[in-house]
Order: sequence, then structure tokens, then C-alpha cells
Amino acid sequence: MAQLQLSDLRKSFGQTDVIRGLNLDIADGEFVVFVGPSGCGKSTTLRMIAGLEDASAGAILLDGADVTRARPADRGIAMVFQSYALFPHLTVADNIGFGLQLQKLDRATIAARVADVAETLHLTPLLGRYPRELSGGQRQRVAIGRAIIRNPKVFLFDEPLSNLDAALRVQMRLEIARLHHRLGATMVYVTHDQVEAMTLADRIVVFNDGRIEQVGSPMELYDHPANRFVAGFIGAPSMNFLPLRRAEGRAESPGMAPAPLPPGKETATELGIRPEHLALATGTTGDLTGEIELIERLGAETYAYVRVPGQPADLTLRLPGDTTLRPGTPVTLTIDWPRARWFSSDGRVL
Amino acid sequence: MADTLPRTRFNPWPATVFTVLCVLAVLFLLPTVGVLLSSIKTTREISMGQLWSAPASLFLGNFTEVLGNPAVHRYFLNTLLVTLPATAVSITLGALAGYVFAKLPFRGSNALFLVIVAGMFFPPQVILVPLFRLFNGLGLIDTLWPVIIVHSALGLPICVLMMRNFFATVPNALREAAIMEGASEWQVLTRVVLPLSLPALAVLATLQFTWIWNDFLWPLIFTQSDTKRTIMIGIVNLKGQYSVAWGVQGALSLVASLPTLLVFLFFQRFFIKGMTMGAVKG
Repeated sequence: MAQLQLSDLRKSFGQTDVIRGLNLDIADGEFVVFVGPSGCGKSTTLRMIAGLEDASAGAILLDGADVTRARPADRGIAMVFQSYALFPHLTVADNIGFGLQLQKLDRATIAARVADVAETLHLTPLLGRYPRELSGGQRQRVAIGRAIIRNPKVFLFDEPLSNLDAALRVQMRLEIARLHHRLGATMVYVTHDQVEAMTLADRIVVFNDGRIEQVGSPMELYDHPANRFVAGFIGAPSMNFLPLRRAEGRAESPGMAPAPLPPGKETATELGIRPEHLALATGTTGDLTGEIELIERLGAETYAYVRVPGQPADLTLRLPGDTTLRPGTPVTLTIDWPRARWFSSDGRVL
Repeated sequence: MADTLPRTRFNPWPATVFTVLCVLAVLFLLPTVGVLLSSIKTTREISMGQLWSAPASLFLGNFTEVLGNPAVHRYFLNTLLVTLPATAVSITLGALAGYVFAKLPFRGSNALFLVIVAGMFFPPQVILVPLFRLFNGLGLIDTLWPVIIVHSALGLPICVLMMRNFFATVPNALREAAIMEGASEWQVLTRVVLPLSLPALAVLATLQFTWIWNDFLWPLIFTQSDTKRTIMIGIVNLKGQYSVAWGVQGALSLVASLPTLLVFLFFQRFFIKGMTMGAVKG
């Protein structure tokens, strides 16, 4: 159990700054997910917390103690790797007990603790097998077992589910959530899959270009993004963005009926609307007119991609699963104005 | 039906290749067969010119003479005293250096690696005289030390090259996982990386053992007295004062090649691939 604190953490490779000053407090027992596009620095940050990568500047505090220069093993941190990183020449039991063997604990203690961990992860019948004889999900559980046996203060997960197929991923996601619930340990989880982020996290940290864009609970980020990047990154399908032109206190955009600018939004240059905040107009008047270009049916719901003349991209519209609309149908859309987001030219939410 | 089948044109290539390979095999095997035949013949039979004929009767006297000769025992012991430490030292140093080059690169490590590997391209004749003078100055001539040292050193380039290249195929995540579990670099090497490198170690052990065991040049240069000679020089020494003992030499040649054969048979079970299977991503 531990509190983790990053203080002005920086990393550069030669002249290239990869992490540009991170400040983050992670509470004891919290499940924090780092998300962001490839190369945003989320994995590098995780590796710095683990001690596999040296910090160029700044500090990492674990329960108030500075561990920035401590050896990885002395930090009391365990990590689950994207590739599982199981030792192929060792059995499941030896893989799980590897760290305890290095600590030179006696054999009976190791065996007892390995049996204990195997029991909780349903690995008991597999203890004598080698990694090559296991399925992907089983390997992942062995990797988790190796992490939990030392009772670490903090668990780090580096995209642990990205090598699994979709069905198994959902199952393992639930197992990790259960694990967190049972152990109550502090966990930091890196992913680029925002469904994993939304479902697992107590708090999500959105990374971009070596900086933290926003920290907050999943719904906070979804409903109140701090800027255009977070608004676009969180949510699938992502938010629709409409460029705005201001004229006499009204906002204009191609294909959109001019709308009055609400107070405080006078400097907005872009309008953001989530797919579920667009609706088909019931009458003849609406906010946007266009033509359906493509229909994606997911069963419970349907996404329609609407081509609005003059707009840089198709608008995504969420519809019920049983919609009868077909590509080529002209449509008129209404905007749920109170839930629309207004962005200034520098990307801030107004 | 039969005449509707397209007639397959005669392809001369497989036959040609097969013939060439057969001829080569015979050429390579002939000397061994000759040695084998002469080892089971009496000197009289050989000197009567019947070199390639089957022996009239199986004569094992050459073998008993060789195996009962105390000088031959000494040759064997000397060769072991040279081969085992030199093989062990070159492979150990090769593994240590290879690990650093593969997993812990530092500024200039690639250049240093090239320099070490370039050591392979020095012909022994170039360094022969300086080495003789060096060991003579150290008072080590006519001991086994110079042979051990030179073989350990000359084995380094190939050992470093092979071990570095093999270690490079061991995923970095394994090293990092071991470090997270509390392993030192030494423990990463001995408990994770080396056990996964058994195929490379087996190949190197076989190569080095055979190479050093069969070496003729260095013991010839650095040793003088009969009690310091190794087996390959011993074979030459066995020629009689007035005649060449073909049968005895043949027998000793066969006996002398047995250890390398045994080493190969012992290590070949490690020549297996796929040791890293299942380590990362299925």
C-alpha cells in the first residue's frame, strides 16, 4: 500500500525531451490509468517509476521517500510487462517464485506462497508446466502471479492486455479489476485502449507529447474535458468538431444554421459535439443538414456518418440499433446545445 | 490414360549434384578409411604395399601398443590440461563480454566489438615469433602455459561474436523482469540468459574443444620436451627411429580423435532451437 508522487519528473534522450515535467499525486490504493497516443511518454513514465529508466530530473516519491535513484528491486514495485516476459526455461512455479528465490527464502516458504498465489489465480494445475505450454491468458495470469507474490507497494501494468484477443481481453480486464478490489493496492496501468482506461480507472491521466493534459475520473474527463485534445481522445467514436466563424455575435459553420454564441463563449473558434448529442430532427428545421454516407451497426446501437457539405470531416451520429436509415438519405440534425463544448483557438474549453 | 500424362523432362541437376556430392564424400572419407585400414594391419603388411586392401586378419596389436605406451598417456593428459582450461576460459570470457555488448552497451561499445572480432583475421604466423619471444622472456617455454594462454586468447573473437549475437536474441523484457524481481546483472546472466543460451554454449564448446584438441602449431612452437607434448605432436613423434610406424600412428590417430567425437555427441543434444519459445507474446 503506498502513495506515489511524481514531482517535476523529466526525461530526455540526448537533445530530445520525452517527458517535460510531470507532477502527479497517486493516492494509496488508487487505480490510475495512463492513456495517450503512441509516443506520448506514458510508457517511459511507467518505466521511470519502475526504475528501468533513469529520470533526467525531478523526483519520484513513494510514501514520502525519494526513490528516484533507488534500484528497481528496492522500490517495492512490481511490473507486468506487455510481452509477459516469463522465463521460458522455468516452470510456472519457478517463474512465480523467482523473486523469492533471489531473496534466498527457504524452499518450504516459497512453495507455500507460490501455492497461495496459484490458488487465487487458478493456476494450481499448471504449476509444473512451462510457459510455452500455456495459452495467452494463462501466461498473463502467471505474469500477474509473479508480480503479486512479493506483496509490492505499487503494481505497474504496461499494456498488459494488448496481446490478447478481444474476448480474453474483456475477461482479463475483469480479473484485474477484481484483483485491485481484493488487494486494495496502488496500481498504475498504461494503455492506449480507452475502453480499458474508462472501465478500470479511478482516475485517468491523459498524456500528450510528454505532458499531462488532464487528470480526472473517467466521467469527469468525458463530460468536462479541459481541452480539445482530451475531448477528442476520450470517447469512442470521438467527438465531432465543427470549425466556427463569428459574425455579429453568432456562430457560423458550413452546413449549420447560424447559432447565437452563449455568454462567455464569444471567442470560440470550434464547436465540439459528442455523437450522442446529435439527434435526427423531428420537424423540418434543424441545426445541420447533410446526407448519410455510411451506417455502422453494432447491434444495440448504430453509428451514422453524415456528410455535411463544407465540413472538413463526416459527423458521427449515434442512433438506436433498429434504425431504418440507409446511406444516401438526406437528414437534418439537431444539436443538444447545453452539452456542446466550445473551444478557443488555443484548444482550451471555454 | 498413360500417354495423356505429360512426359516429365529429364532434369540433369539433381543427378549432377548427387554425383558431385558422392565424389566429394568419397574424397573426404578416403584418408580416414586409409588410416582405419592401416591401424588394423601389421607393419609388414603395410610395408608390402597393401595399403588399400582389406587386412588378411584383424590385427589389434597397434592399438594395444598405443594404449599401453606411457608416453601416449602423457600426451593425452597434456592435451586435456590445455584443452579444458582454454575452452572454459575463452567461453567464459566470451559470455561475459558478449553479455555486455548485447545488453549493456556503452559509448563506443560497437567499435570495441568490431576490434575484438577483427582479432579473428590475424593469421597465427604473424604473431608466432613475437609470442615466442614474449613467453621465452617470461620463462614459460616448454611449459603448457603458453599454449593455454594463446588458445584462450585466440578463441575470444569467435566466442564474443557468437555469444553477443545469441544474447541479442534473448528479449530485453526478460532482463528487465528479472531486475524488477531483484536480480543483479550477474544473476540475470547466470539465471536467465545463460540457461537460455545452451545451444550457443554447446556449439562453442564443441568448436573450441575440437579446435584446441586438434591444434598442432602452438604446442610445436611452445613445447620441446616429450613430456610436454600434446597428442597431435605425439602422433608425429611415434614414428620409429628407422621406419615410419604407419600402423601405430594410424591407431593413435583414431584414438586421438575419439574425445572430440565424444564431446560432439555429448553436446549435440543441446543443439536445439526454440528455447526462447513462449517467453514473450504467444
